[in-house]
Amino acid sequence: MRASQISLGMSLVVATALLSSCKPPEGANGGNEGGAFPRSQTLYVAGSQWGDPSSFNPLAETWQPAWPVNDRFNLMYETLLNYNTLTGKIEPALGTLVSKDNDSLVVDLNSAAKWSDGKPVTADDVKFVFDLGRKYPDAASAFAVQFISEIKVAKVNGADRLTFLVNKKDRNNPLVVLDLLQAIRIVPSHVFQALLASHGDTLANVKKLKIDSVPVVSGPYNLKAYSNEKIILERRDDYWGNAALHNGQAPAPKFIIHPIYKSNDAFAIGLQKGDLDASQTFIPRIGTKAKDGVGTWLDAAPFYVPGAIPMLVLNVTKKPLDDKNFRRAMAAAINYGDVSELAVSGYSGKLNPGLIMPTVLEGKYFDSAASAAHAVALGKESAKKILADAGYKAVFKPDGSLDYTTDKAGKKLPTLSIMAPAGWSDWENMIKIAVKAMREAGIDVREGFVDPSKYWPAKPNGDFDILMDKPASNVTPSLPWSRFEAIMSSRNWVECGKSMNENQGRYNNPKAKEYNKKVDSLLKAIPLVTDSVSLKKAYVELNNIFLDDQPAIPLVYLPEQFYQFSNKTWTNWPTAKNSYGPPQLPWVSAGINTLWQLKSAAK
Amino acid sequence: MKILKNLLKSPMFVIGIGLFLGTLFLAFLGPLFANMSLDRVASSYAPPGDGLLLGADNLGRNYVALLLHGLRNSLYVGFLAGIIATTVGTLIGIYGGFKGGIIDDILSVTTNLFIVIPQLIVLILISASLKDGRSLTLIAVIIGATGWTWSARAVRAQSAALKSRDHIALARINGDGTFAILVKHILPYLASYVFMVFIIQIASGILSESAISMLGLGPMDTQSLGIILNDAKANGALGDGIWWGIFPSTILITTIVFSLYLINTSMEGVFNPRLRRE
Amino acid sequence: MLKQYPTLRFILQRAGWYLLTFLVAVVINFALPRLGSDPVDIIMGQNSGGDPAMQEIKRVSFLKEFGLAKLDDKGEVVYDSVTNAQGVKERMPVKKGIVEQFTTYVGKTLQGDLGSSFQKYPKKVTEVMGDAVPWTVALQLPTIVFGWIIGNLLGALAAYKRGTFDRVFFPMALLFSAVPFFVFGMLLVYFFAVQWGMFPAMGGFAADIVPGFNLEFFGSAAYHYVLPFFSIFLISAGGQAIGMRSMGIYELGTDYIKYAKWLGVKETRILLYVFRNAMLPQLTGLALSLGAMVGGALITEMIFSYPGLGMAMLTAIQFNDYPVIQGVTLIITTCVLIANFTVDILIAFLDPRVKAGLQMGGN
Repeated sequence: MRASQISLGMSLVVATALLSSCKPPEGANGGNEGGAFPRSQTLYVAGSQWGDPSSFNPLAETWQPAWPVNDRFNLMYETLLNYNTLTGKIEPALGTLVSKDNDSLVVDLNSAAKWSDGKPVTADDVKFVFDLGRKYPDAASAFAVQFISEIKVAKVNGADRLTFLVNKKDRNNPLVVLDLLQAIRIVPSHVFQALLASHGDTLANVKKLKIDSVPVVSGPYNLKAYSNEKIILERRDDYWGNAALHNGQAPAPKFIIHPIYKSNDAFAIGLQKGDLDASQTFIPRIGTKAKDGVGTWLDAAPFYVPGAIPMLVLNVTKKPLDDKNFRRAMAAAINYGDVSELAVSGYSGKLNPGLIMPTVLEGKYFDSAASAAHAVALGKESAKKILADAGYKAVFKPDGSLDYTTDKAGKKLPTLSIMAPAGWSDWENMIKIAVKAMREAGIDVREGFVDPSKYWPAKPNGDFDILMDKPASNVTPSLPWSRFEAIMSSRNWVECGKSMNENQGRYNNPKAKEYNKKVDSLLKAIPLVTDSVSLKKAYVELNNIFLDDQPAIPLVYLPEQFYQFSNKTWTNWPTAKNSYGPPQLPWVSAGINTLWQLKSAAK
Repeated sequence: MKILKNLLKSPMFVIGIGLFLGTLFLAFLGPLFANMSLDRVASSYAPPGDGLLLGADNLGRNYVALLLHGLRNSLYVGFLAGIIATTVGTLIGIYGGFKGGIIDDILSVTTNLFIVIPQLIVLILISASLKDGRSLTLIAVIIGATGWTWSARAVRAQSAALKSRDHIALARINGDGTFAILVKHILPYLASYVFMVFIIQIASGILSESAISMLGLGPMDTQSLGIILNDAKANGALGDGIWWGIFPSTILITTIVFSLYLINTSMEGVFNPRLRRE
Repeated sequence: MLKQYPTLRFILQRAGWYLLTFLVAVVINFALPRLGSDPVDIIMGQNSGGDPAMQEIKRVSFLKEFGLAKLDDKGEVVYDSVTNAQGVKERMPVKKGIVEQFTTYVGKTLQGDLGSSFQKYPKKVTEVMGDAVPWTVALQLPTIVFGWIIGNLLGALAAYKRGTFDRVFFPMALLFSAVPFFVFGMLLVYFFAVQWGMFPAMGGFAADIVPGFNLEFFGSAAYHYVLPFFSIFLISAGGQAIGMRSMGIYELGTDYIKYAKWLGVKETRILLYVFRNAMLPQLTGLALSLGAMVGGALITEMIFSYPGLGMAMLTAIQFNDYPVIQGVTLIITTCVLIANFTVDILIAFLDPRVKAGLQMGGN
């Protein structure tokens, strides 16, 4: 009896072990060749899709479609123009920018552009998607109507010439029109007109369709298959751009597969092992992974090119945040070096005071002397002095930690909470470090990490003390203006409780007597200034106001996206040393051209 | 007492209680010897050595300090959750098992309800509606309030078995009310069993807290063993081979839970002589 | 009449109580999410941008699509004049009352329509769950079953043999069940996937394979399954072994066994009785584990990137996605209650003591 019991048990264990030891040869992806997707012809990318893919409809709400139909990913559907974030130039995609001034932007459609069903891409397709907003107020691009009053079509040298008239009666902003031209994807009007007709002419019904079965696209790749685990794209060998834009060359990877991971460290592990070729996620200590073939734009800190600024948005309707001295003290107290080094592994260079980044694209609008005069002096002692001068008194506990702070009248100040979504580890770390430094200087703040279900509704409603946010997170032609607009514009100012889409901190209330009308007049004027000297003057003035009033506190510079890749399977990625293309992942905007330049490592 | 003497004869008990008391010592006396400051003292994930016994975390803080803080908090959560779960579960179990009939059925329905509603929903929704968010106490209360079902069932089974015993019938003839019978005649019999249930509930409270923290839903603004593990995972310590981020807290959690299991098993051996080693 | 068939009466009574539990659970699971943030607010916050007037139009259309707005006879949204916090009167859409929402929900559910997810609109809840459940079941069913079998075998062995084997085995099993299983998963990934590269770190099957009924797919899935399997299996086996060992020792020491030994009954027979009796609580445990299985091994799914039901539920709760929460809790409730009901009935039939009690009219 014993023997048979033991042997039964053992044989079961052994069987399981045997089963599990039938492992395929080298490489977790089932070998080098073989399988439907040979490794040397497939590009594995990750980080742009987190949830289960449910729709590939380019007309759906912006957050609904899966990669690559959401955001500026031009693999399937394309935009008219591409913005090269390295040079600042507008590059051609479906069209070419002919001219740009304060009244209109002119784009010539590439006459070679075709849809995957053979029909040519025409001005009708462009007009269709831009004008959807006129007929259907619930269209995702309905807001374009505020910026573009009309699209005129003419034929010039056999090509469709589109003239986008800047809407002078409404927003009057040619910068944003340029943004739209490089962001809005062109869809096949013949397909969607038919769908609208068969769905009772209601856009809401068409938005619900998945459009996931051999969609009609114009881009270099098309959707092959997808599941909750991954999305698979296949190269289109009849892509019009191969001949027209790339000298007859096709992009190097035949397949692009985007696995959907659920936890942060999966990406790091994937890149290190070479299972992923590129990943869009925050990976700490990327420098230590160079030995595994992981590359970034720069070989040393800060590794990435700055693109966006995560910052603390301060709700100036709440005491004591309504006192600009208090806000400036907060900005002074934070140890930005620690934030960069500890929270984001040193991925940020030194911060310029204000909202203008020291990059090729924006640096020309920055005046270090002027900003130094307006910026607050950094350091814990400086912060303490500012607080003391403004009448605030900090009371510390015997163990050295902050107990509470009182204002000029002696009244105890409430503890301010910094709201951020739980689980975003780089943001959480930044806030933890900032909170610590501020408390040491006598500022009573604490971390307030909440679930997304609390964060997202709170943001537009002003339902927070301090909010962590990364406004203007994409690098677009309208920067740095759009960053200022996102933080300081009083255009749609409403009280807390109602929704605001920019300036959620409620800075500069137009009904208050301290209202500074210079801010809004500068914001309205800058998009129309053409002379570079006046433009710089305007930006410097706006930045100085920002520094004086400190409605938000920039914490670090982070890239628009984390541009990191693996050299194990594909090489010749653009880097600072090999800068033939911008530091953008090969599915983002102008970065798409990288796909034609990649070389297979197995040679 | 005789029970204690018997317990001490069992090597399992000695080891278990020894380990557990050791961790308690660490939690309460450790701060006297170690530097408990959570300031930044080194670079991100500095390895052990150089004055830092267990290295630094991703924010440059001393792991020894973090672990001691975390240990205390985890023990607190475990105990509080254990007390709540055991109390609620025992009360419901005893009463239902003894009374039987409709009351037992209603209490069973209640127990099943609590089993069926996922702990996660309760946790997120309650913490979302509170201004202070998730504190250690709130987490402990929620773990206790959702974890008592197991004790209720176990105690109910025992109580139901007991109620048909003779001395209960005698007490009833005597005219004792339900409550008096429960307190005087049933509870003493079950005391040892309830104590064992309590031990398991503490262990499960500690495990639950670390599981909840691993989902990122742990207590805010504070440390716990689960939070330390979660931070390590979220900051890529696993992939980078930063073992000092993961092993110490794992060892601590495992040790505490293991010691509690040992205590429980050895008690089982003492209270139920047949289980003792022959 | 029913008094003549005590067993039948018992079953019906139990079924009745379970039905009541089910109904109350459904109501609670319906009401709880509605205590949190408004899901439309969440969606609007995620996608701010554009003119406030247009945002308002979008908000109303979402309310209508999600069935949260009160509609008039023509199917249009009903508005009402409301005085807001600042004392200004404004026109706001009227939300559907919670009772009305509940009746709509029940009506649709009975027809098999669980609605569409809010976050993944318009993906149907049945689709969301249908995609996720196989992963969860595939992850847990084998580990639970194998863990149960192996664990009980080893526990029985330890109970029977005692001696050195038990001295070594028992503390080890205890230790294993004390390790938090997600840490175990992390450690397995660290050693076997990252350091020694023997097994893949994540995913259900190789990224370049499309699921299908072929050997390649199953092979790849099996290969990817090793680490997740062991991370749960070893710990659950440990737990089972301990339970079985206790039960086994207990039974082996009972009077009737001693008596049977003295009577000279064959050892094999004795062991059969012993383990048959010890098995009962273990079976109970198995059934309950299987019932709770659908709730998902959430953290394991996270670590290994298995898109199972646990992850679906977590995301739904975090974004307050009512239909998905309702759907997932419905399936969990159903499975757990059915499992418990089955166990109650099984015990009544298999445990002669309970059966006898029933015959005698007790409870």
